[in-house]
Amino acid sequence: MHYATGVRRPSLVSLARWLALASLAWLIACSDDGPSGDGFDFAASAGAARYAELCQVCHGEAGEGGLGPAVVDLAMSEAELAEVIDVTMPKNDPGRCTGACATEIAAFMKRGLTSSALRCDAVPPSARQLRLLTRREYRATVQDLFGAGAPAMTCARATDCAYRDGCAAGRCEPSACDRHTFVYDPQGRGLRSVHVAGSWNGWPGTVAAGGWALTYDAATQLWTGSFTLPEGDDAYKLVLDERDWVADPRATASIPDGFGGMNSLLRLSCSGGGADDPVAGFPAEARPAGFPFDTAAAAQAVTATHVDAYLATAERLADHAAAAAPAWPCDWSGDRAGCARGYVADVARRAFRRPLTDLERARYDALADADLGTALHAILISPNFLYRSELGVAQGDGRYRLTGWEVATALSYTLWGTTPDAALLTAAERGDLDGAAGLEREARRLLADPRARAQLGTFALQWLGGEAVLTADKRPDLFPGFDDATRAALARETRDFVSHVVFDGGGGFAELLTADYTVVDATAARFYGLAAPTGGPGVAPYGDGRRAGVFGHASVLASTAHSDQTSPIRRGLWVRRNLLCQELPPPPPFAGGVPDVDPNATTRDRFAQHTANPACRSCHQYIDGVGFGFEQLDPVGRWRDTEQGHPIDATGELTDLEHLGSETSATYRTIPELARLVAGSRAAPACFVRQYYRFARGVQDSLAGRCARRALEQRFADSGGDVRQLMLDTLLSRDFVVRR
Amino acid sequence: MSLSRRAFLRLGGAAAVAAPFLSLGRRADAAAAGPARRLIVFYFPDGVVGPSQDGEPSLWDPTGSETSFSLPVQLAPLERHKARCVFFRGLSMGPTDQGSHPGGAKKLLTAVDGGNGVSIDQRLAASVGAGAPFRHLYLGAQANQNNASGDKHISYVAPGITTAPEDDPVAAFARLFGSAGGGGGGGGDPRAPRRLTVIDNAGQELDQLRRELDTRDQRRLDLHLEALREVEARIMATAGGGPATCDHPVVDTSGVTAATLYAPERFPQILRAQTDLMVQAMACGLTKVGVLQGSHHTSELIMSRFAGTPMYDPGFDMRSHQASHYGPHHDPARREYRDYLAQRVWWVKQFAYLLDQLAARPEDGGTMLDHSLVLLATEVCDGNTHRHDDMPFVLAGGAGTIRPGRLLDVGGRRHADLLLALAHGLGDPLGSFGDASSGPLPGLLA
Repeated sequence: MHYATGVRRPSLVSLARWLALASLAWLIACSDDGPSGDGFDFAASAGAARYAELCQVCHGEAGEGGLGPAVVDLAMSEAELAEVIDVTMPKNDPGRCTGACATEIAAFMKRGLTSSALRCDAVPPSARQLRLLTRREYRATVQDLFGAGAPAMTCARATDCAYRDGCAAGRCEPSACDRHTFVYDPQGRGLRSVHVAGSWNGWPGTVAAGGWALTYDAATQLWTGSFTLPEGDDAYKLVLDERDWVADPRATASIPDGFGGMNSLLRLSCSGGGADDPVAGFPAEARPAGFPFDTAAAAQAVTATHVDAYLATAERLADHAAAAAPAWPCDWSGDRAGCARGYVADVARRAFRRPLTDLERARYDALADADLGTALHAILISPNFLYRSELGVAQGDGRYRLTGWEVATALSYTLWGTTPDAALLTAAERGDLDGAAGLEREARRLLADPRARAQLGTFALQWLGGEAVLTADKRPDLFPGFDDATRAALARETRDFVSHVVFDGGGGFAELLTADYTVVDATAARFYGLAAPTGGPGVAPYGDGRRAGVFGHASVLASTAHSDQTSPIRRGLWVRRNLLCQELPPPPPFAGGVPDVDPNATTRDRFAQHTANPACRSCHQYIDGVGFGFEQLDPVGRWRDTEQGHPIDATGELTDLEHLGSETSATYRTIPELARLVAGSRAAPACFVRQYYRFARGVQDSLAGRCARRALEQRFADSGGDVRQLMLDTLLSRDFVVRR
Repeated sequence: MSLSRRAFLRLGGAAAVAAPFLSLGRRADAAAAGPARRLIVFYFPDGVVGPSQDGEPSLWDPTGSETSFSLPVQLAPLERHKARCVFFRGLSMGPTDQGSHPGGAKKLLTAVDGGNGVSIDQRLAASVGAGAPFRHLYLGAQANQNNASGDKHISYVAPGITTAPEDDPVAAFARLFGSAGGGGGGGGDPRAPRRLTVIDNAGQELDQLRRELDTRDQRRLDLHLEALREVEARIMATAGGGPATCDHPVVDTSGVTAATLYAPERFPQILRAQTDLMVQAMACGLTKVGVLQGSHHTSELIMSRFAGTPMYDPGFDMRSHQASHYGPHHDPARREYRDYLAQRVWWVKQFAYLLDQLAARPEDGGTMLDHSLVLLATEVCDGNTHRHDDMPFVLAGGAGTIRPGRLLDVGGRRHADLLLALAHGLGDPLGSFGDASSGPLPGLLA
């Protein structure tokens, strides 16, 4: 063990009760066939949740051990175990878990952490769940639902296109971020002029005074006008007949005008969050500790802030969809009511990703009869739209099986990050997705589409924690030229590189870590000093033995450094958490801070205190040594030969690579060496499987997931780290469709 | 002149002006100082200069007796409010995770280890706050930076589930005072009936969905349902076209855009804008429960970029968390220590500004501050040792509800008892709160 008596053990991480349950020990054989016999009910066990909070970080998810000894199949009696816990555990804070706490945990350990209870064929399946659409999923979904996803979308005017697109030469095109189209529906009222007056043009009362005139289209009976505007927030009103000042009914936000009325507010931003981004006002997703993705299902709760944002966006989308209704094939002039009902039912089916029930159909018919816009608004604010269902249908044995529609939804959002396309919905309707063969066929189709590449890129950037390159503060004087365009190019590098390795090169997992090349566009190439690719992003060899795969990506390196200095701790933790899935407990109480240091020393020398001080060493031995090896990559990821004039010692030490507590050690002198060590481990590919599973399933860790992952890990290893196969296997595993 | 039509939200480059007196337009109540009606929590990250690792005494504790004491340098900005504040010594959050920032943040408003409980602000939003157009207002300044979430946020809607603050004062202003908000100016909103219809439809569908779930997911849908009800009630209240309840809210957000929202140089302005927004929303009766969160624990906020402050230094980046690890003793020769101390004083100044704004607004024979319980909070005591056993809470306001102007030594009592006392002070007769409360903090309430 890595501690001597008398030295305080690290304190323990508290985890949300329901998130992590104990799982299978490494030595236990696993089969994911159907259930047999009575399994231990992990979900109902209070002790399981307590164990996860207090014991797991040292004793392992499945009692397999780690920083502390293994605790599976303990010989001592339950009463004895309860007493040991009561008196001596947790190691750094004995007395924290006494009485009922200790007895609950002891009961769980004696009954749940046993070879027989942890057998995969006895373990209950994953839980049913509802998954709130993330912002990126919502954005992609509405773009696909309302036309932008169809590449051949033709148009005669802007209102034929998705609400943020313009109509150029008969085709819908995404509008520029700094261009906005104003639309005013006079509702039958005859007007001579409509113009925009706002803070851009000094609130002119007439067109002659500088008002921006809209033009009337007799075919749509709408006044429209499209203008290029500066970024920022501006207030405005529409002026009718140069006399009546009205707020823009289509504005997403408004503010008091000081006269008891409301001005409309327009926000334009080319760095995202602009008026035409449907998710601009949506709260960000919560990401629990240890879960790098935005897909954590159980952590999202809808609040009034969400509802306000959903309502406003849905209203705009509904107005647009109502205006586009006449384009839906139907005899509108002959049977308007019937067409309205049919159109609403069609939108609902695509939005809910399943057909309406009879009850729902009756309700939406009534809404359509009253007002088309209202019915469409209702669809888009419905929980059936906002949540994707993984509830399934009861099978009678306490288990549930996902419907074909739910399978279609999960396939589409996992592989493409958007709503099922028409073909997938048809497959669901025909029952193709009720069986493994049909599921596999559709999954393969989706994987072969370019959208799967983009989605994998999204996964990769989140997996590696590289999104922060877009927003992390960096000193402009120390790192000139690290502007928004460069940051975006570096985020893109990681997405494109991972997609390229997996989809183009046939490369396996190891290649992601060890590749002697990356994929960059001209901007990123210039940043690194690499030869610029011609005509779009391309493969660029590193060629200098200094970088390898994602270890060399500035997205990662900048995200794991401060504004003005590197952080061996964050980079070390990156390897441990993101690549090896090894969690470390937080610092113990009274550990104190960083001791006095010489501010002119190198980063390594300043941090050497951690590994020197025994109170810190017990954890920092796993972290800092790894991070030191990155020291020649500066806070934005460029190579540096010296630090503050001193030469840099970039030797690194990778202790306990496979498993904390395994007492191994390996030194490395270069990043490619580190990459090879990590790529050659069992822990790294297993962690990758776990991370992909988390992303795909939206569940941090679970017993059933752990069982499913055993088979996935085996196949991943057997296939040489074939990531595409892993993506398929994750969706084809039985654990995906059967729930409790 | 067209100037008269400009919104009072300063969007262009106009200079900031002091917020004018708000005429509340409310009927005056009979009683003068009445019981507290609202709660505001003001959070800042990474602790204070408390007891040092080497054992030097805390520089946060006032010295003196319960009723006659003097403030240390970190609390100096509160001198003018001293008679309206209660300072604490020995308030503990319990030993769990005492070495950690996240551990402290999880317990801070929940008083439950691991954040496995509903936080006091959410609890009060559902009781005391339920009648207001917005049950809860959670405003942040760069609190969502770099995808910060989870335990970096301190408001728990359900055990283990935090909600995120709104970091954008422009968007928050529009949401609060815009046509869909509670401050909608005059006249019925023509869109209201449609909104109500679709909300009602969504509610029915949620009910339907809920029946198919087990308890944990039911809980999440319950939150969704409550959110729908809140928005519905708000729309119904304003759709009738009743008189506007407040005039001329003013917040300076000039230069704050999506591109600059997370620039450290803008932080002071953004925090001030959010503070003003919170006060004005409350003055208008839009909400009774609010949390203001400045940054988040283990903060990377580069406070040395704040122009016009003692820690300003364009040539050197000093981050909040970095400064908090100032070493084992209070050493003015050490840069981290000096900056950390200056930073803490700065945070307290921002809290004092909040109190100034509340104290400047007359309300029913007293001031808004008299009727508000305002709590200053951070997730650890001393930033270097991360201890949780002498938490630097400060409570202000609530004249008539609490006995102010005192230094309370509570000798190790758990902070759950302080939160419980706040609930009682606001009229919520909670039996207990958190996992270790033994009753409301004695001697606090009047």
